[in-house]
Amino acid sequence: MAELYGYVGKIARINLTDQTVSIIPTTNYVPKYIGGRSIANKIFWDEVGPGVKAFDPENKIIYMTGPTTATGIPTGGRTVFTTISPNSLPEQYAWSGIGGDFGAEVKFAGFDGFIIEGKAKEPTYLFIEDGDIKFLSARNLWGKLVHATQSKLEEIHGQDVKSVVIGPAGENLVRNASVTTSNDNVAAKAGLGAVFGSKNLKAITVRGRGTVIPANIPKVLELRKKMAEPSMAPRPVVHETHHGIPGTEKPVPGGWKRAQVACSYGCNQHCMCLMLGMKSAFGEEKVNHVEKCVSIVAFGFEEDVPYGGPGGPGGIFQTEQNHYLACKLLSREVDPPDTSDPYFEQQFTPGPGDVLNFWKHDFEKGSVINDLCNEYGIDKWDVLIWLLPWLSMGKKEGVFDEIDLGMEIDVESEEFIKHLMDIIVYRKGYYGDLLAEGMARAIRVLGKEKFGDTIYHGRYSRQINKRLDLPISLETAWGHSVHWQGRGFEASIAKPAWVATNLHQMTSTRDTQTIQHHHDTFENYLELKDDPCRSPLTAQAVIMGENKAEIKDSVTCCDWQSPNLFWPDMEAQMFEAATGIPMTEEELNIAAERSRLLFRAITIRNYGRARELEVNAIFPIMQYPDPWGETVTWEEWNDLVDLYYEQRGYDKETGWPTRATYEKYGLKDVADELEALGKLPPAKK
Amino acid sequence: MNEKKQTTRALGRHIVQSPPEVSFCAGCSACEIVCSLVHDGVVGHAYSRIFVNKGTRSMVSTIYSCQHCLDHPCYEACPRKDQAMCLDENGIVYINEEHCIGCKRCIKACVFDPPRINYVHSKDKTKRKAKKCDLCRTRPEGPACIEFCQVSCLGLSKSENSD
Repeated sequence: MAELYGYVGKIARINLTDQTVSIIPTTNYVPKYIGGRSIANKIFWDEVGPGVKAFDPENKIIYMTGPTTATGIPTGGRTVFTTISPNSLPEQYAWSGIGGDFGAEVKFAGFDGFIIEGKAKEPTYLFIEDGDIKFLSARNLWGKLVHATQSKLEEIHGQDVKSVVIGPAGENLVRNASVTTSNDNVAAKAGLGAVFGSKNLKAITVRGRGTVIPANIPKVLELRKKMAEPSMAPRPVVHETHHGIPGTEKPVPGGWKRAQVACSYGCNQHCMCLMLGMKSAFGEEKVNHVEKCVSIVAFGFEEDVPYGGPGGPGGIFQTEQNHYLACKLLSREVDPPDTSDPYFEQQFTPGPGDVLNFWKHDFEKGSVINDLCNEYGIDKWDVLIWLLPWLSMGKKEGVFDEIDLGMEIDVESEEFIKHLMDIIVYRKGYYGDLLAEGMARAIRVLGKEKFGDTIYHGRYSRQINKRLDLPISLETAWGHSVHWQGRGFEASIAKPAWVATNLHQMTSTRDTQTIQHHHDTFENYLELKDDPCRSPLTAQAVIMGENKAEIKDSVTCCDWQSPNLFWPDMEAQMFEAATGIPMTEEELNIAAERSRLLFRAITIRNYGRARELEVNAIFPIMQYPDPWGETVTWEEWNDLVDLYYEQRGYDKETGWPTRATYEKYGLKDVADELEALGKLPPAKK
Repeated sequence: MNEKKQTTRALGRHIVQSPPEVSFCAGCSACEIVCSLVHDGVVGHAYSRIFVNKGTRSMVSTIYSCQHCLDHPCYEACPRKDQAMCLDENGIVYINEEHCIGCKRCIKACVFDPPRINYVHSKDKTKRKAKKCDLCRTRPEGPACIEFCQVSCLGLSKSENSD
């Protein structure tokens, strides 16, 4: 076999039931499926049919690196898990990305990825060292918090091992449990920690002494300097006097210390804010933890993120002079806008976000909340954007008068939040056990009309100086909570942007904005802004974002460096530098379309996905007003869905891809299987 | 890790890590990666001549690299001195791998803990090689670890014995 660049050549099939390992050559999949999520989608399509539930032994955890992982190409340290998500409603195939050093170590150990199957008889962890995979007892690890687990594994195997671990939330099958690796990096969005727990899998620990060889080293070094234009400037520890969402900061008594750290192995950025010497939830000792995105609201959630105009602060509609990616703002990595931009005045029109009054600023309590999520191994987004706002709003609206959680509901109280997390993570009592099933399921058991749809009367728009409706449960499609969708958290984006983000969410199976924050050019914005649901440009930008997400999770790359609308073949250059396989922007986009089609086919075959189902899943949240009082009509929304399906090559009536579309991307076998199941639209004459 | 074997000794110019109040190491491993890329064309822990010790919990990283001792005990210990372990005209000790037999005597002679010389293990004895910082002596741009440090927390000590 010719020397393999980028990839290391092996995928391990690991069966926990009978403790066996077999090896699959990576070349069975590449380069048609370029790596990461594309390979995972192909494996899942081939191996997991309808009827399998998240906690069944037949569910699989597929973990894949990308060809750029551990090559020195920035952002290649990002890797991806896929599985049937217990946190989605209904349970569906989903994915979750993760940074840290684990993926690089897996490749140094000789593997491009794993397929983890079955269920261990007792608590188990995998120890992988240079091609050898051992099944070891996790009896002495079970019950430990996340960082204690990581420390114990380093004590046993040496400080140089890299691990992914679950905490008590995963062990107890809390549906939004996460998997954690170094630098507080988590795979949190698919309830993956609970799938680990259901398989009695506490951790995977790896040591690799091998090498990864990129094809084009001068190009790797060039990319290190060019991607996202790293500042290459000193970043000292900074004493901060205030804290909060930029533009809404509050003073912190005594101040706090901030540093910046990289998210993943070999990245050329330092996006993550490291908070030094913070209060712990579990002892007197101070701890360091990372504030990456949503954790900022743990410290105070009185008002929403400010509006910045169509060009900022999220960087949605961009010009060549002013373009950056959404979350860079939170890590304080964004330079001031370029005022010489001819569109500057139209792009940047700052204004305050909605007043929400969920909880007051309390720096120490915020640190405790983040520490609880980190140590229990639970998705912060669900806690901070759904559970706690729900309790805050519901309490004020009187919906919990008959509910006894064992303490008075008070989200301003550190002791209450510690108690709340304890009863959920350890499934204590009726309500602890119920809330461990995740917000979407718990609210349906309690009664959605009262416990989900009751209107909160504390939201006030400062864009139109008016009280606006908001439901106490900030639920969007597929059992997830709102994210950049025009209402709730990060709601200060206008209709031309939020119809796009809601379309992203409609076709997904989980919160999708973590890997495909919406972006488009400002020139397109000027074309589509007056009637975004009737502009083909809106659908076109959503498709670009979806395809870029497939590319990011496959090459691999990161949502904080991609897409760069003004360097559209960046990811193709990354792939080619890693593998030596010639790749153009167009060819990579075809690979992304293929991966996306497989994902669509999985949702159609396994979960009955169709137009009516997904339109009805997303439409309700958009009936609550955005900060300008705007909603979307049924007709508008369906016109946009028509445009999207048409551009995607889907049948407009069913939302199913046509045979011609599957065959265009080399998936005739997929079309044949779906046709046999009656899930291929009839051919149009 | 500590420097229990270290004694006060004369050092040549070497890679230094800035204190956190000047620049905080982002823990990205860029220095390790570019080191092994420019020297060996691969990425792998055993091939780096500079090491990042990351705290999984603390997220604080410490950089270790050769201190270029002026009395160069590694050079003195090499059984193939001047063939495998060599000394250039600027006093930089470097390894000519063609002649390195992988005996590890240079590593044992290193006075620092952890030793600042890396080692490639291999079943093939002829491929066992020591790896040591040579300050990228043949690279016109100078040390790659400094050039590619995204937070500029690495530098070259200003003069012998300085930090």
